[in-house]
Amino acid sequence: MRRWPLIAFGITLLGALSGAAAYQQAGPRQGEQRTWREIAWPFPRDGWPAGKAFRCDGCGSDVAISVRPKIGFCNCDRGVADDDEVDRVADVDLMSEHFVPLAPGEVVRVADMVGRIRTYELPPAAGARHAVGIAVSRRCDLLVAVAHGNGDASEIRRAALAFLATSEMTRWTMAAMDGR
Amino acid sequence: MKLVGTSDLQARSSYQPTIHHQGDRWIAYIGHHGGSDEIPAPVNPQTGKAEPNGTSIVDVTNPSQPKYLRHLPGQEGKYEAGGAQMVRICDGKALPKGDRNAVYMLRTFGGEAHEIWNVADPANPVLITRIAGLKDTHKNWWECDTGIAFLVSGAPDWRTRRMTQVYDLSDPAHPQKIRDFGLPGQEPGSTGAVPTELHGPISTGPSGNRVYFGYGTNKGGILQIVDRDKLLNGPKEPTADNLRLPEIARLPMSAFNGAHTTFPMLGMPIAEFARDKDGKTRDIVMIVDEAILNECNEPRQMVWFADVTVENRPMMISSYTVPEASGTFCERGGRFGAHSSNESMAPVFYKKMAFIAFFNAGVRALDIRDPFHPVEVGYFIPAITAATDKRCVKIDDKNRCKVAIQTNNVETDERGYVYIVDRANTGLHILELTGPARAVAGLP
Repeated sequence: MRRWPLIAFGITLLGALSGAAAYQQAGPRQGEQRTWREIAWPFPRDGWPAGKAFRCDGCGSDVAISVRPKIGFCNCDRGVADDDEVDRVADVDLMSEHFVPLAPGEVVRVADMVGRIRTYELPPAAGARHAVGIAVSRRCDLLVAVAHGNGDASEIRRAALAFLATSEMTRWTMAAMDGR
Repeated sequence: MKLVGTSDLQARSSYQPTIHHQGDRWIAYIGHHGGSDEIPAPVNPQTGKAEPNGTSIVDVTNPSQPKYLRHLPGQEGKYEAGGAQMVRICDGKALPKGDRNAVYMLRTFGGEAHEIWNVADPANPVLITRIAGLKDTHKNWWECDTGIAFLVSGAPDWRTRRMTQVYDLSDPAHPQKIRDFGLPGQEPGSTGAVPTELHGPISTGPSGNRVYFGYGTNKGGILQIVDRDKLLNGPKEPTADNLRLPEIARLPMSAFNGAHTTFPMLGMPIAEFARDKDGKTRDIVMIVDEAILNECNEPRQMVWFADVTVENRPMMISSYTVPEASGTFCERGGRFGAHSSNESMAPVFYKKMAFIAFFNAGVRALDIRDPFHPVEVGYFIPAITAATDKRCVKIDDKNRCKVAIQTNNVETDERGYVYIVDRANTGLHILELTGPARAVAGLP
């Protein structure tokens, strides 16, 4: 008889833990702060200097983002005019050369620069299911970002845009575009 | 090198010069970029009107006194968005179906079209035809003996800014399109990574049966060696397989460097190898990168020599750059690095000397008789003038500008004169070789 309260407590605890686990998988707790911490630039050296890379704690599906300027790369007059331009420049190929767009892209604004954003499916070997390519321009210069994760592409896109819109990232972006 | 004559080219930013022996005259045709923010359309003193930059036509029969004949306006627009950068010339009597009395000028019209003019009277060109509806037209190649043209364009639906449109321009009044061409992954409907864009091709014609394509301008360059016959006569639908079919080999370059000019010099005898049983002569392609950013804000863009004798295993064998410390060029303002070479294959310099436009380091004359060890034997840096435009970099949010020579392109003529033109509006300088450099070319 004296063991019954212990068993009941154990069952309740297990239920509570599994419930919490399920909740975390579904996404961040409402009001919980997403924390982006800087990580090492994850790609091999190429023609452009490395930028900054971050991983999100609290975004729910192993979301990471890499951001860098590409100075002198943009069509000075048209800017990022179409989806082909995003395919070409947004560093999605660094995740995998075999990316496939999920849908036509859309116009986007980052740190007062206009361009386009597009979501992609990646092959299994890429290490992430989805990627979001972002390319915006200022005169002849580009800012590109590729976010990726295993969850829903729209959620990765939301998290990436929210992060790029933070005042810290806006400051860094503007400084990087000025070569500082 | 010694200055012979100059023309201010109406202070227009210059790209490709082509010098043509026309009857008993020598005519220089010079393509221009669009105007600048400050002066979008310079005034033409001959008409008194502001004209968007286009093509300058200059009589250089007497190189010490060039005579400016005509400015043919180009597309409105600034910098690379306007003007008429590229120009090639073919005699009507050389083209299989041309008017024997005509001299044809193929030029770009801004980014949106290619045009052919009859310049038999160079002071009064007549428009023959226009291939329009394009974007980002650029550095073409036109075979005068066949009329086949490799037009660099941006075609609708292609996933790259610039690719090749092959045309039969043997009858310039009636252009016939043969096919579109590019690297697999650039064609319409493809997915995945998009290979770097084309800058320009050079063909060896039916006898050599090769076209050397340069991709990438200052980054991730590729030299692509293509079978010309398969390109012209193979399946034309732009599928990945059909684009792959005419390719013989590629030489991928470092991500740091691109290919602006890919200049073939096939069958070069190499003195050092003269007693070797095999490999006495080598097929060489000189690859010139283009510097893009001002004041050394990128990896050095320079000149590379590739041995393509064994075509499926092309290999870089040497390189050349101007030593920065020889003029503290990173501090002089504007771009420092290579841009382009002469493209004339006239015997006077071909396979003996190459001339490289090196922006603020002027033009450099290289002895390339041993392409494994190219040696600089002369140079010329023009003086700035009141017309020379500034070049800026951003320092602490503010533009810091310097006025510097920006030797952009160079060409030679059959007489041995060297023509250099300036991107920063300083005009045309006509040069001749002196001293040991003259001896290298075998000039008296």
